[in-house]
Amino acid sequence: MRSAWLVIRKDLRAELRRPQAMIAMLFFGFLLLVILDVAVPAGTEITPETGAGILWVAITFSSVLGLGRSFDREKENHCLEGLLLSPLSPEGLFGAKMAVNCIFMGLAELAILPLFFILYGDAFLRSLPALALVLLLANSGFAATGTLFAAITAGADRNEALLPMLFFPLVMPLIAMAVRATGMIFAGAPLPEYSSWLQVMAAFTLIFTGLGFLVSRHIFRD
Amino acid sequence: MIPRTRNPEPVLITCTALLFAAAVYAVFFHAPAERVMGLVQKIFYFHLSCALVAFLSFTTACISGVAYLVSRDLKWDVLGAAAVEIGLVFTTLVLATGMLWGRPVWNAWWTWDPRLTTSLILWFIFAAYFILRAAVEKRQQRAAYCAVMAIAGFVDVPIVFLSARLWRSIHPVVIRADGVNMAPPMLTALLVSLAAFAALWGVLLRRRVRILAMAEQIRILEHRLDREPAQARRARY
Repeated sequence: MRSAWLVIRKDLRAELRRPQAMIAMLFFGFLLLVILDVAVPAGTEITPETGAGILWVAITFSSVLGLGRSFDREKENHCLEGLLLSPLSPEGLFGAKMAVNCIFMGLAELAILPLFFILYGDAFLRSLPALALVLLLANSGFAATGTLFAAITAGADRNEALLPMLFFPLVMPLIAMAVRATGMIFAGAPLPEYSSWLQVMAAFTLIFTGLGFLVSRHIFRD
Repeated sequence: MIPRTRNPEPVLITCTALLFAAAVYAVFFHAPAERVMGLVQKIFYFHLSCALVAFLSFTTACISGVAYLVSRDLKWDVLGAAAVEIGLVFTTLVLATGMLWGRPVWNAWWTWDPRLTTSLILWFIFAAYFILRAAVEKRQQRAAYCAVMAIAGFVDVPIVFLSARLWRSIHPVVIRADGVNMAPPMLTALLVSLAAFAALWGVLLRRRVRILAMAEQIRILEHRLDREPAQARRARY
């Protein structure tokens, strides 16, 4: 537990000194929001559902950049082997990386959301507290699945395009649920109407966190 | 080593062929035409059979994935890879027959119905399995990663279905908890088709496992040959 905390601090400090992942995520997220704005014909009103879709496309694609970076640093100079030789357990390493990814995604969203509201209308702004809940659930689900597959692709030979190809099919249900729930929130629906979506999202997160912890020993061993 | 016993394959293949002939007979001559859909509904028997076989494959892949991670025996990896290959083929068939059926009956090639969505995402996941397989060079590592992918894919299926179910479904519910919702001759045709496809699945799986195991052996032999000092080889010839 303590050593996992040390890994989290190490990753955050390294990111603070040379922000590779954050810059990639933010820049790509901004670019996507602008591209999607161009893709929507000028003068069309953005419905809540479309707005939710646009927001989640930007978040999903920017997050995969951050996830792909999460093991890059450990590949230099055999750092991963060093980490595994330390008293840190593979489960601890998985947990630490998942937490770091979760934090990065949250920070990137803090910057992506304001731009979204600027470009697509601040009428969506009143739904912020409920949206935060959806973001939290989606982030942890993305982080669990993403960390698992980032660890796998870090061990593969050609890994640049591999992560999205493995990661997107698996998180498709999570994206679909997040879009639906966000659309309802933007439309001003009360919590009971979309709570079943949130429950399934929570189940997804729990299942993949559990799976990640269970198989981390096997992934890091090879 | 692959044991050299009497090969039961010709018998298995003959049985499968006979079952298929029986299935075609049962579907077209024994089962009555459906009242509303008419002749188009005949595709249902093979559609459902393909779906069952695909499900059987992915279950096998998940179980052999777990077995590999526990035992670290490469034979489980071979079984898993063979099962996913066959499962992918049959999932493609499910999607294709479903589209052919959906066009005249629902007036659309594709809708975002829970089962369609689930099959499609399942197809993507297990297609990604092969991309992963091709991208990892080291044998043990590839087996471990693929095992995790097969397990993750299998675990994902109920969630996909649940999330898609929150949308409205237009799929007919044929088999309920309180009994089967169709005429007895139709049920016979369905059961014969299911048996035929299950037999085909068994034959294909056996074949693929044998071929993959042989490829594995060739790889090991080649590896050994490469390591053998050139001098020793020259002395032998």
